[in-house]
Amino acid sequence: MPDSPHPGSARDSLDPAPRGAGDPGPAGATAAADRAGAGASEAGARARGPAANGAAGPSLLLLGIDFHTVPIELRERVTYGHEEAEKMLVHLLARSAIAEALLLSTCNRTEVVLQPRDEEQAYRAALDLVFLSRAPEIERPGLLYVKRNQGAARHLLAVACGLESMVLGESEILGQVKQAAALAEAVGAAGPVLRRLLRSALAAGRRARQETAISAGAVSLGYAVIELARNIFRDLDDCRVLLIGAGEIARAVARNLAERGARQLTVVNRTPERARQFQEEFPQAAALPFAERFGAIREADLVIASTGADEPVITRRQLAEAMAARPSRPLLVVDLGVPRNVEPEAGRIENVFLHSIDSLDHLIQRNLKRRKDEMPRVQEIVDEEIAHFHGWYRGMQAEPLIARLQKQAERIRRQELSQALPHFPESSHEHLDRLTRSLVRKILHHPSDGLRGREGTEHLPRLDLVRELFRLDDTDPDAGETHEASERAAGEGSATAADADEKPPAE
Amino acid sequence: MQLLLRSANIVLPLAYLLVAVDYGFVFFAADPRAQRAAAPALRAVILLHLAYLLGLAAQWGQFPAATESQALSLIAFAVAVVYAYVEWHGRERSTGFWLVALVFFFQLLASVLARPETPDRAIFHDPIFAIHVSLALLGYAAFAVAAAYAFLFLQLYRDLKAGRFSTFYGKLPPLAVLERMMLVALTAGFVSLTGAVVTGAFWAQRLYPSDWLHDPKILATLITWAIYGMALLLRRLRRWQGRQTALASLAGLGTILFSLVAVNLFFSGFHAFL
Repeated sequence: MPDSPHPGSARDSLDPAPRGAGDPGPAGATAAADRAGAGASEAGARARGPAANGAAGPSLLLLGIDFHTVPIELRERVTYGHEEAEKMLVHLLARSAIAEALLLSTCNRTEVVLQPRDEEQAYRAALDLVFLSRAPEIERPGLLYVKRNQGAARHLLAVACGLESMVLGESEILGQVKQAAALAEAVGAAGPVLRRLLRSALAAGRRARQETAISAGAVSLGYAVIELARNIFRDLDDCRVLLIGAGEIARAVARNLAERGARQLTVVNRTPERARQFQEEFPQAAALPFAERFGAIREADLVIASTGADEPVITRRQLAEAMAARPSRPLLVVDLGVPRNVEPEAGRIENVFLHSIDSLDHLIQRNLKRRKDEMPRVQEIVDEEIAHFHGWYRGMQAEPLIARLQKQAERIRRQELSQALPHFPESSHEHLDRLTRSLVRKILHHPSDGLRGREGTEHLPRLDLVRELFRLDDTDPDAGETHEASERAAGEGSATAADADEKPPAE
Repeated sequence: MQLLLRSANIVLPLAYLLVAVDYGFVFFAADPRAQRAAAPALRAVILLHLAYLLGLAAQWGQFPAATESQALSLIAFAVAVVYAYVEWHGRERSTGFWLVALVFFFQLLASVLARPETPDRAIFHDPIFAIHVSLALLGYAAFAVAAAYAFLFLQLYRDLKAGRFSTFYGKLPPLAVLERMMLVALTAGFVSLTGAVVTGAFWAQRLYPSDWLHDPKILATLITWAIYGMALLLRRLRRWQGRQTALASLAGLGTILFSLVAVNLFFSGFHAFL
């Protein structure tokens, strides 16, 4: 069954019948792939190669809702805080059908990723416990999306890269995935598969932000102001900021500026009460009477005007007088008022950079377009990390077999050596032991590598063939132990999934 | 020695090209590895270039500006040195691509025009003349660097003023940094040119006691010196802002080009070299 949004009622069983690739649906990933454009999808399909059908990967199941499919009224009911998520993971793990689980819950999405023992039962359990228990309306068609195997893995990586975010490329989601991973680890809900998948997701998220411009440029009003200021002044720390108006917009911008190091804030407002409230939130800010705004402009580097006045509170003449009285420093004036607080003609004054809300919007749209242009490159990163994940999984599947093969070869070596050694002088025994060890190691080297890392869906039949050829059947008394050991090794290798950024073993 | 100097004609432009490519990664892709490698690589190539110029001086026993090739290589070296200084002063590498590309262009031209023989010219044996020419070249190189920063400053200024956000927007350092780098280059250029004028006057007074002040190139140089001096003074007195200083810097470069090209072509005088 190809991965698809669940088109019918959410309570329908997980239909094993194949669905057409063009199934309509509101799923985020499908929408994101559409947004990436045909070029990106084709490139992704090429990069995925023969493993794209999901047969080469582990069994995974993802159920989720996000801002594409569900309105805020419903989303907020299915949002899980830290402790609630912890309890939910425990409930999920109590179901025998679920081997591993991850719960990612933010204001824009709630998703549960499972490594199921029984896919059908795991689906029903997650649906009831995570979604329907809080919002039975999710049962309606088209609200919940379901993804399986490689589709689920790709979706999680795309989420970590910010491809599924409301604001494309936003950085917060990577931290949220990291927190979800840490919680799953703490609860014991992350086993080898999810742990390794999360490592790939976090690596993809980090690479997307480091190697592409998916998070570059400001895409909100507050950060657009900061971006403009950073194009004019050397350092925000030394920037003197004057806020004319102390409303919600001014506070939001001041918050962003303070986060980015601006320390010298002054606020002027018609009502002193509002200015005092502003000071409660920003104790470092100085408050001045509204009439003293022109004096304050002489000292300022950045002026943010956001009053609700019907007439401009700064005219060209007033600003020109203020500029004439100050040293030849540039002045950035951001007019966030509608109607405008600053006469547009003031922008013609030498060294005054006047930007209105429209100009900021122009900047935001430009940055958004640049981010969209980066989507194909991010998709490539997702493809690469998915390939690493599948390479690791293939290796993990092969390890028990390789261990058995090595054990069998070692047994034969010892057997033959013990028969042969009496015919040789004692002084050569150590030499013969080394020689036979080396022979066995070299003979098994390439077959072992081949079993670990080959691409494609013929991988599993090849394992069976080797098992049959060398008679490595499952009744081998050491097999269970060896398998557990290899799983343990795989798990230990990614014990710090939340922080690790290592590549899987080379294929 | 001859072989080493000849191979430098290939190695030097190639080395500057590689450094320019590295700076290109800094400018276009903001690559952190390229950023770390850029300044040390440039300094290493400058040292190599210095060794080449000293080798030329040792080989021919005279100041290495006797041919067009040597003069161009000297200009390339001077621009590279001034840029390295400005970069170190401003701690900003994102503009290096444009300047190092200019250096590469001069050095490439120098390598293409290189000839195996160098004429022996008595004037190039005079140490005061060597100091005069070195200071003049350093000054002109600094003014060229200042003009590059002035251009970038005006580009960003226009973008920010009009809210247009062209290709340069987001890739250049802030206006304040561009202005500072421009002023550092202008100051370095002005000090060097002052030194060149003083040593030149001393040297000319000794060799051409009468009438040397009427030489068109000297007049053009004095006008250049006055333009830059005035621009720096007005900026220091805060009468001018960044934009006016940038315009003056470009105007100064225009005068330099006039003094280098037009005066040589259309006026006769003793200042025919360079």
